[in-house]
Amino acid sequence: MDAQEPWRPRLASRARLKFDAIAQQEMLLFPEATLLLNETGAAIVKLCDGARSIEEIVDGLAEQFRGVDRATLRREVDSFLASIRARGLLQ
Amino acid sequence: MSPAPRPYTLVAELTYRCPLRCVYCSNPIDFARTRKELSTGDWRRAFSDAASLGVVQLHLSGGEPMLRDDLCELIAHARACDLYTNLITGGTLIDEDKLRGFREAGLEHIQLSIQGASPEAAEKVAGVRSHQKKLEVARLVTAMGFPFTLNVVIHRLNIGEVPALIDLALELGAQRLELANTQFYAWGAVNRGALMPTGEQYQRAQGVAVDAIAKHRGRLEIAFVQNDYLSGEPKPCMGGWGRSYMCINPVGEVLPCHAAKVIPGLEFESVRERNLADIWRDSPGLNTFRGDTWMLEPCRSCERKDVDFGGCRCQAFMLAGNASEADPICRLSPHRAAVTSALDAAASDELIYRDVHNSRRLSAV
Repeated sequence: MDAQEPWRPRLASRARLKFDAIAQQEMLLFPEATLLLNETGAAIVKLCDGARSIEEIVDGLAEQFRGVDRATLRREVDSFLASIRARGLLQ
Repeated sequence: MSPAPRPYTLVAELTYRCPLRCVYCSNPIDFARTRKELSTGDWRRAFSDAASLGVVQLHLSGGEPMLRDDLCELIAHARACDLYTNLITGGTLIDEDKLRGFREAGLEHIQLSIQGASPEAAEKVAGVRSHQKKLEVARLVTAMGFPFTLNVVIHRLNIGEVPALIDLALELGAQRLELANTQFYAWGAVNRGALMPTGEQYQRAQGVAVDAIAKHRGRLEIAFVQNDYLSGEPKPCMGGWGRSYMCINPVGEVLPCHAAKVIPGLEFESVRERNLADIWRDSPGLNTFRGDTWMLEPCRSCERKDVDFGGCRCQAFMLAGNASEADPICRLSPHRAAVTSALDAAASDELIYRDVHNSRRLSAV
């Protein structure tokens, strides 16, 4: 990764987001597992479009979750992205 | 009775036909007796019904699923049902045209097996010349942008190649590497004496895998599937019998796992005769080991019974002679000696290949 360029995460090609009609929840599908996402997780995944930097993802989240302070959102984004990145679900 | 749990995963064993003869194959010993495979329409209906029940993951498996002429149609139908669709293949029948067809049909992931890192080790296990072709196919799969898992079944004949297999997975561009230690069912059980590694070999391979998992995290995901004889840990098989996973075999029988027919006296039903939702809920075979009322001691009062479900029912039957017993892998099992004596006896060099001839021979009445 270029040190000048911020990371612009995108969902790995083997993973797919699906709204599950039975659980009424977003799910992240990949070959070996199914992750049920909470509202924040689903919103973050949708913002991982390969164009937004982490800061811009936090901006996007802040628009959807008004009233939550930015530092909290930033922590949520960092920890959620770290967890799915460790599973190879981001590129 | 409580309502049937939601299934998440369907393994569709489309056929038992296969050009390979792998000595660890999980298909039943008597696969050659299989007469009439499900039709395209049967499978389409099964996929639709599975999706309605809650299944989100579909693994198209075999045998070699590439031998089904209707594979593209089945992939397209699975995607129309919004199933995450994975093809599990030996790869030897794949070419660029086929991959293009799969892409158009919407295939999302390919799991390709190889049998070792070197052609000698690999082909000794596969029983046919195939290694070079598989490597070419792996490169093609990567070049065409399919996400793929490289799967290698590990045993005494290739366990020393684990470092080379990790390098190979990186070189081939796999996103995931499954180092799947042999599970001793069906052909794997027949060949157990030749496939069982020593404890020392196993520990060494596991150490290499653990280091590599940390080193390649985020780039190559590595899964090390345990050999329970050597780990001593009963596996929570299928996450519990008939809970979240179902397997449909080539003739349509709905099973809790691909091995379950080894247990005598269980009645399984086919999607040819009854719809999947009714089978999933009512099938006597699926209900036999749901929940924990079937458990005996030491499982019944064990604090881990909701964690490992008493281990594997098929293994309990195979090693203790009773599918309701604790899996003899468990140190609390009174049948633990069956495991230790199997480890002591593991010194055979004879390999029995999985092919029609041996299937007929071994399953002759």
